[in-house]
Amino acid sequence: MADPDRVKPEDRVEHKSLGSGSTPGSGEPAAGHSRPKEEGKARPGDAAAAGEEDEEGSSLHTSPAKKLKLEQDKKKEKRQKVDEDEIQKMQVLVSSFSEEQLNRYEMYRRSAFPKAAIKRLVQSITGSSVSQNVVIAMSGISKVFAGEIVEEALDVCEKWGDTPPLQPKHMREAVRRLKSREQIPNTKHKHILFH
Amino acid sequence: MAEEEEDPGFDEDLDDGGNGVDSGQGKRKRLFSKELRCMMYGFGDDQNPYTESVDILEDLVIEFVTEMTHKAMSIGRQGRVQVEDIVFLIRKDPRKFARVKDLLTMNEELKKARKAFDEANYGS
Repeated sequence: MADPDRVKPEDRVEHKSLGSGSTPGSGEPAAGHSRPKEEGKARPGDAAAAGEEDEEGSSLHTSPAKKLKLEQDKKKEKRQKVDEDEIQKMQVLVSSFSEEQLNRYEMYRRSAFPKAAIKRLVQSITGSSVSQNVVIAMSGISKVFAGEIVEEALDVCEKWGDTPPLQPKHMREAVRRLKSREQIPNTKHKHILFH
Repeated sequence: MAEEEEDPGFDEDLDDGGNGVDSGQGKRKRLFSKELRCMMYGFGDDQNPYTESVDILEDLVIEFVTEMTHKAMSIGRQGRVQVEDIVFLIRKDPRKFARVKDLLTMNEELKKARKAFDEANYGS
């Protein structure tokens, strides 16, 4: 599992030399994990950039294409550094969790909708088979959706002075609020503007 | 007494041939009870969430998946659900969009890694 605890600091140094092994490779991407695909490209980009610096100083005929590539490479490096900072911060945070927080965090990362059930559900609606990527995407956004509702319901619960566990009235109020923000898709009510 | 947020129209598609007791909305059996409990705990609820809340959330998730599927079927290539359609539908919602991008990227990387690993094994 992509546990930030397992990502070692050596990976930070590794990224410049080798683009392959530095991510916590598994099925659970963290919000700020590094992207080896781009790291692999960054290395030839770095070499090219190093070569470019001399030219730029000496003459003015670096073409706009080269300048663009230079900027893109610099942005990529910045993005990777930001990712690594984020990974480090996550590591520090998780290492300071209490046991209850660790449990909750583990449940947060590990819980997922069963792919088979989602696939069955989508296929029963479309009537034809769907690709694996569709199932992956659908279960992913469904989890985010469930999270949005639970978080909103917890806000409602706190606002009303109640305590968890969440009650159906909190859930319903949360849905009402999300609907007014249009975060819940609803194609049943078609509002016809000009008729 | 039907609550407004659970549209009764939603259940029309499900023809329940059995004689199940109408437990609110879902006449079919519960698909995600166990996973949803863990998920709710992970998102901040109590370690033992109420069953009614879990049921409400399951209905909401199924409705969400149904809506997305119908929308995806109506755009792009009609009658089929493709990843590009889902990404298009989700484009306005930053969280979901980022999540889908991450998941698909990760999946590609894993496939490449597995392929490289298998080839390495095959060679040696």
